[in-house]
Amino acid sequence: MKSISFGSLITTLLCLVVTAHGAGKTIEFPTKVAAPGTFPKKWIHGSESLLDNKDPVVQVHWYNEHTVMMRENKAYADGANFFFLYFGNEKAFLLDQGSITQHDISPVRELIDGLIEEWCKRNGKDDVELIVANTHLHGDHYSAWNQFQDRPNTKLVGLTHEERLAFFGMTNFPEQRVEYDLGGRKLILWGSPGHDDAEMATYDTYTHLLCTGDMLYWGLITIRGFAEKWAPSIERLVKFTDEYPVSCLINCHIEMSMQNVDYPRSTSYQPDEPPMQIEVETLRKLNAFVKTIKNPRDGEVYYFDKIWLYNQKGGWETVEKNKFVY
Amino acid sequence: MRAHFVFACLSLVIASAPSLTAAVVKNYELSGPAPGSIRFRWIYGSVAAALNRDPRVQVQGYNEDSFILRENICVNFEAPFMYLLLGNERALLIDTGATANPQYFPLRTTVDAVLKRWCTARGVADIPLTVVLSSAENDIQNLGYSQFVGRPNTTLAPLTLDGTKTFYGLAASWPNENGKIDLGGRVVTVIPTPGTHKDGLTFYDPYNDFLHTGDLFFPGRVMIANERDFIASVAKLKAFAQANPVKWIMGGKVEMSTTAGVDYIRRKTYRPNERVLQLEPAVLADLQDYASKIVGHSQAIVRTDYILLNGVGPGTRTFTRPADLPPAPPAAGGGGVR
Repeated sequence: MKSISFGSLITTLLCLVVTAHGAGKTIEFPTKVAAPGTFPKKWIHGSESLLDNKDPVVQVHWYNEHTVMMRENKAYADGANFFFLYFGNEKAFLLDQGSITQHDISPVRELIDGLIEEWCKRNGKDDVELIVANTHLHGDHYSAWNQFQDRPNTKLVGLTHEERLAFFGMTNFPEQRVEYDLGGRKLILWGSPGHDDAEMATYDTYTHLLCTGDMLYWGLITIRGFAEKWAPSIERLVKFTDEYPVSCLINCHIEMSMQNVDYPRSTSYQPDEPPMQIEVETLRKLNAFVKTIKNPRDGEVYYFDKIWLYNQKGGWETVEKNKFVY
Repeated sequence: MRAHFVFACLSLVIASAPSLTAAVVKNYELSGPAPGSIRFRWIYGSVAAALNRDPRVQVQGYNEDSFILRENICVNFEAPFMYLLLGNERALLIDTGATANPQYFPLRTTVDAVLKRWCTARGVADIPLTVVLSSAENDIQNLGYSQFVGRPNTTLAPLTLDGTKTFYGLAASWPNENGKIDLGGRVVTVIPTPGTHKDGLTFYDPYNDFLHTGDLFFPGRVMIANERDFIASVAKLKAFAQANPVKWIMGGKVEMSTTAGVDYIRRKTYRPNERVLQLEPAVLADLQDYASKIVGHSQAIVRTDYILLNGVGPGTRTFTRPADLPPAPPAAGGGGVR
């Protein structure tokens, strides 16, 4: 500190001026090699008695310094949705908002405000514009959407298929891939219907994470249009991984145990969950399995690893047996 | 009805008359159902289960000798009902709930406290307790049982089928004859009703005129485990209700909503529009009718007050409504859609 030069002092002062101005230093988001990140050893996973659960409403995990993963608490919302926040130099991209509408119960708006503030502070920026987007249009993914209606410096993508297409400039859904630039960090989005007609896949060129929303996760995949929508979407995901480096697939639920036994919908306590992320290799094997299903039957469940394909079956149905039959 | 009421009041007067030292002896022989009411709404969970601050065990005094208990939905989604009945010489707890851990579900301490207050009012030091199960194998009603093991002055019904038969003196006659539990002036009839469980029992209380049917029949998803036994047990209960006064059928769960034929999705911990617990005995005719129709079919049949499941699992949903029920109104969007 004693031998600090005049030049470096000037540089420091200049930096301070720039920082105070709010633009910050431009962050590089290289795409050649996946930006490293970590998943938590264990996500929050409910409790035997929900009334006695002491975990936070939403678990926040920084995958790396520019990427946030969040999971809802089963004792507040039984689906325990995952949602994501990606930071770029100019925009923060919120992919899903969780399944709790009530602000008093889950103040998602304040949660996101806090994360943006934290990130901006760390990166010498005043603010970034928030983009409120969704993987697909099911209620457990957009329930807190309304909390952002009056937020300054915010764009809401919309909760209809048409508004979503218009926002991203998609004219040939689901095939067309579009880029969405967060400021040096580009996302690639394309159509991924089969669970929900409006679903989109989201690839992050910085982390190489590919978000498959609800059309692929460890659990009971409710499929609406197996042969004409879902299977081609799986094929489209595989094709993407042929062309782009993908570190792993991320998604919105876990409904399976490590023993390949399901936690039926709305199970309150899931102590033996696998990690949320899915390897590309699993996607490829799944695609091969899907190709063997020539004439998918309505109401049938097809079992592959920890991914159970619920074809034209009620989303709330479970495959539990009556254990008392005699 | 007026005659019943006068008679009941008279017995209350007699009950409060003796000196403080003498134990009260009550006459449970009435010419009609004992007066009693379910005045309070059952607790129905919360939007966020973790924020629920309702009692872990809700107690409703139906009358001074009958208590209906419910496990908090946010402790266990099955939210079973239990019944505590008292006579001059014995207390009877029917069913023990879906949670063993007393920290989550303090059934034993709740029952102890209710009995203590009752004993004080009655001028007795203690009253023996018998704990029975509507099905020993049913794990939404037998898990609180462990809290009563080792409790002084307590008799526990066995947890095996053979033990159950012997306990009620039905080893040779099961399921054709009935057993009895004498509470002292209040004699409860024990009716073997297998069908949803191989060891199913229904308890008839001639004081309140209640049939406590446990998991065999209640306003919810009734899951047949054995067609022949179920049909026989329903026929038996229908005949019993014709031969004996039955005010209400009081089962072990509520899963239906106030909309005819619409149930709450399994595992939901917020059910603000639950149907009431009690069923009129007339519904047994409807049950018998539809039970006979479902034999041999793996399916779910929706009725106004219950859903019958045969050969399918507890998570089965049905989207076909019988022609005699009005169409179900569309459900709200939001968090429920998936």
